[in-house]
Amino acid sequence: MTKILVTGSTGFIGRQLTLSLANMGYDVKALCRNTAHPYLIKHKNIEPVKGDILDIKSIRNALQGCSQVYHTAAMAKMWCRNPDDFLQTNVTGTRNVLEAAGLAGINKTVYTSTCGVWGPSTKHPVSEDEPRIVGFPIAYERTKHLAELQVQQYVNQGMNVVIVNPSRVFGEGPVTDSNTVGKMVYGYLKGKWRVIPGTGVQVANYAYLHDVVNGHIAAMDKGIPGNRYILGGEDISFNEFFSTLYVTSGTQHRMIRIPQKLIKFYSQLERVKTKITGLPPFFLPEFADRLKFDQRYSSQKAIKQLGYQITPFTEGMKRTVNYLKAIA
Amino acid sequence: MIPKLTAIVTGASEGLGKSFAVELARRDIDLVLIALPGSSLEALATYIRKNFDVKVSSLEKDLTYSETYTDIFTFLKKQHITAHILINNAGLGNWSWFEDKSVSFYKKQIELNVITPVLLTRLFLDQANPAITSYLLNVGSLGGLFVVPKKQVYGATKSFIRYFTQCLQLELSDSNIKISLLSPGGINTKPELLVLNNRLRGISKATIFEAEDVAKIAIDGMLKGKKEIIPGVINRLMVVLNSILPGFVKNLIIKNRLKEILKSNDKIIDSVPAY
Repeated sequence: MTKILVTGSTGFIGRQLTLSLANMGYDVKALCRNTAHPYLIKHKNIEPVKGDILDIKSIRNALQGCSQVYHTAAMAKMWCRNPDDFLQTNVTGTRNVLEAAGLAGINKTVYTSTCGVWGPSTKHPVSEDEPRIVGFPIAYERTKHLAELQVQQYVNQGMNVVIVNPSRVFGEGPVTDSNTVGKMVYGYLKGKWRVIPGTGVQVANYAYLHDVVNGHIAAMDKGIPGNRYILGGEDISFNEFFSTLYVTSGTQHRMIRIPQKLIKFYSQLERVKTKITGLPPFFLPEFADRLKFDQRYSSQKAIKQLGYQITPFTEGMKRTVNYLKAIA
Repeated sequence: MIPKLTAIVTGASEGLGKSFAVELARRDIDLVLIALPGSSLEALATYIRKNFDVKVSSLEKDLTYSETYTDIFTFLKKQHITAHILINNAGLGNWSWFEDKSVSFYKKQIELNVITPVLLTRLFLDQANPAITSYLLNVGSLGGLFVVPKKQVYGATKSFIRYFTQCLQLELSDSNIKISLLSPGGINTKPELLVLNNRLRGISKATIFEAEDVAKIAIDGMLKGKKEIIPGVINRLMVVLNSILPGFVKNLIIKNRLKEILKSNDKIIDSVPAY
């Protein structure tokens, strides 16, 4: 039976991916810094292996007997106390995983990137071969872009690596800092999230977790080495997002629309607060700037080449709401 | 009615040039984009055509070949395009001791940073329509004003651009052409800069800009006919200080900076991945 290593198996995507692979009958090794992590799924086909992507020896150890790797581990937050953590985890960590995979003779690796490497869209949804037209003020996007360049170097050396680029992922999973949609939905259900940014017409692409997980597995199966595949969902405005949330949850709140300029001003205060006190910011200016843009993405390539399927947004939201209601 | 303008942008496939292209398209200005063969120029041109209502011609040409200059304008003539804006953006930077780069590198750098903008400007003025205001934007650098170690040739080429631009401003002050010099500080463009610039703190960080912000400020300034465009308050302050501080103080500051650079270099280079 094929043995597979998953990094980031306690993360939002990696956790569900680990479970899906285990349910398909694969032997899955789950690389964890803490093998007692509460989000690590217990399953007869999942073997937790203690290790860290910043420790190449531990990756090499975990890779024993494996023929495939899913590298989903990343620093996917808005802010870290030590800004170098983004570079370390996302770039050095990725280099370590690929270096170790090369030495271990791994057949194929799927690297989880993000649609954030393209960032904002102009009029039409962005597709894989299109350029990024703004800079990289957001640390997460910057370091994921740098990590993709690292991946490309290994591909040029002959390694079989496929890149997948999920958009804004939502679904049934733990509410953590990297699960931004989950945080928003959970807050809405509890009556704590009452804000619609700007006029609410800004559009983003929302990908349902199970689609993204299936997309990963399809990329391992059919993805062309060195290619990137956007794994997205529907393009939805904030207004549509919250009206769907209202319809699917049955919970209605009076929402307040806060102008982008005011959010930007507030985020600048937050940055000053963070600089002085070291406390995590609630929002940062580079994210406030993003509220001026749409983030539409096209999954056409993945649909054509990988057989990627998109669950309707309303359906995905219904399941997410039910899940979050149960844990609330 | 404002006539539909056409702009030539050199070095348009990446970095600041790409941002110029997008910023001009956003303002409804048609484009003639020039970049090296094998760059991602065509992808950018396609993207702009799809998302904006402008005409885009893309020419993949090496600007260090002497036939390229006339080729560009022959192409425009054949297409019945008059260029109203020329942005001399293409350039080659370096951050190295003089002995560390080859003879061919410096030759290429001087050709691209000095000869190319001069000759393109000459040919651009030939075809400009005197009835419509034309614009020339030369991309210089704050480095053209300050003597910075490890920028010996680059800084010298940018000093050349400063003199050239200011002199043209005098010569052509009565004509229907507005000439601007853009003198940016650091810009986040190449991968290694993305890593290095984001390690800067405090005042140093305030001198660094995103390319799209520089492009916006530059085009605003160019259309207003500003003689010199310096993005950023700190950068402008540095220019003012430069003009009032006595020479020996400036020398002291630069020597101190050099010491810092030498000290921190080994530390930084160690942690930057190679691209």
